[in-house]
Amino acid sequence: MSAVSHDVDFSAYASPLEAVVAELDQILQVAELDLEPVARVWNEPHLEIELVGPDAAGTFGRSGKYLDALQYVANLVVVRRVGPGVRIIVDACGYREQRAATLTELALEFAAQVKERQEECELDPLPPHERRLVHQAISDDPGIRTYSEGEEPDRRLIIAPR
Amino acid sequence: MKAFIEYLVQAVVDLPEEVRVDEEPGEIATTYRVHVAPSDLGKAIGKQGRIANAMRVLAKASAMKHKRRVYLEVVGAPAEVNAD
Repeated sequence: MSAVSHDVDFSAYASPLEAVVAELDQILQVAELDLEPVARVWNEPHLEIELVGPDAAGTFGRSGKYLDALQYVANLVVVRRVGPGVRIIVDACGYREQRAATLTELALEFAAQVKERQEECELDPLPPHERRLVHQAISDDPGIRTYSEGEEPDRRLIIAPR
Repeated sequence: MKAFIEYLVQAVVDLPEEVRVDEEPGEIATTYRVHVAPSDLGKAIGKQGRIANAMRVLAKASAMKHKRRVYLEVVGAPAEVNAD
């Protein structure tokens, strides 16, 4: 294992968080990726892990595609090998936070348009956590409502006038 | 890369000992053929191919560094070779 210091106190939780991080480290190693997992926040059941290393900025911090693929696969392996009770959220170079800001901004823009034109607006397919972000950003607006249509991974959020 | 694909597939199927990954190097691309037990085919591919697709994305992320291309196929049980 690595010599990096984690921000999460592993002893504070009965479930083997350390084993989860070790499992992710193992995945990154066999994938020949120069990335190290650093546990940042433990907000049960979500363990936020930042990927640090040469491949963080170039690939993983630039597009959600790689982060989402790794997150999906890592959670499958972790549930299988360590057990349920922990869900991993992986991030690199602040991508998730930036993406959340972008999505929130877009959501507000779309909501304003939908109200003005009184017409539905269908978004591109988004992963579940990103659809939730959009929904949350505009859910307290009484002039609109949001719902989703389609099957994963092509499920789309629709913003409609109320 | 082969180790990675093996590791991942073994982690998601019921019969990890039946997993075999064949590596076929080509001029610009390497093809990986994943063989699993017939009963594990669905597990290795995933709903809407999600597992196979996620593996492709990650294999690509790793291969890009070496300026390589990768193809990944999930196939059923290895075909029996009849030598008669």
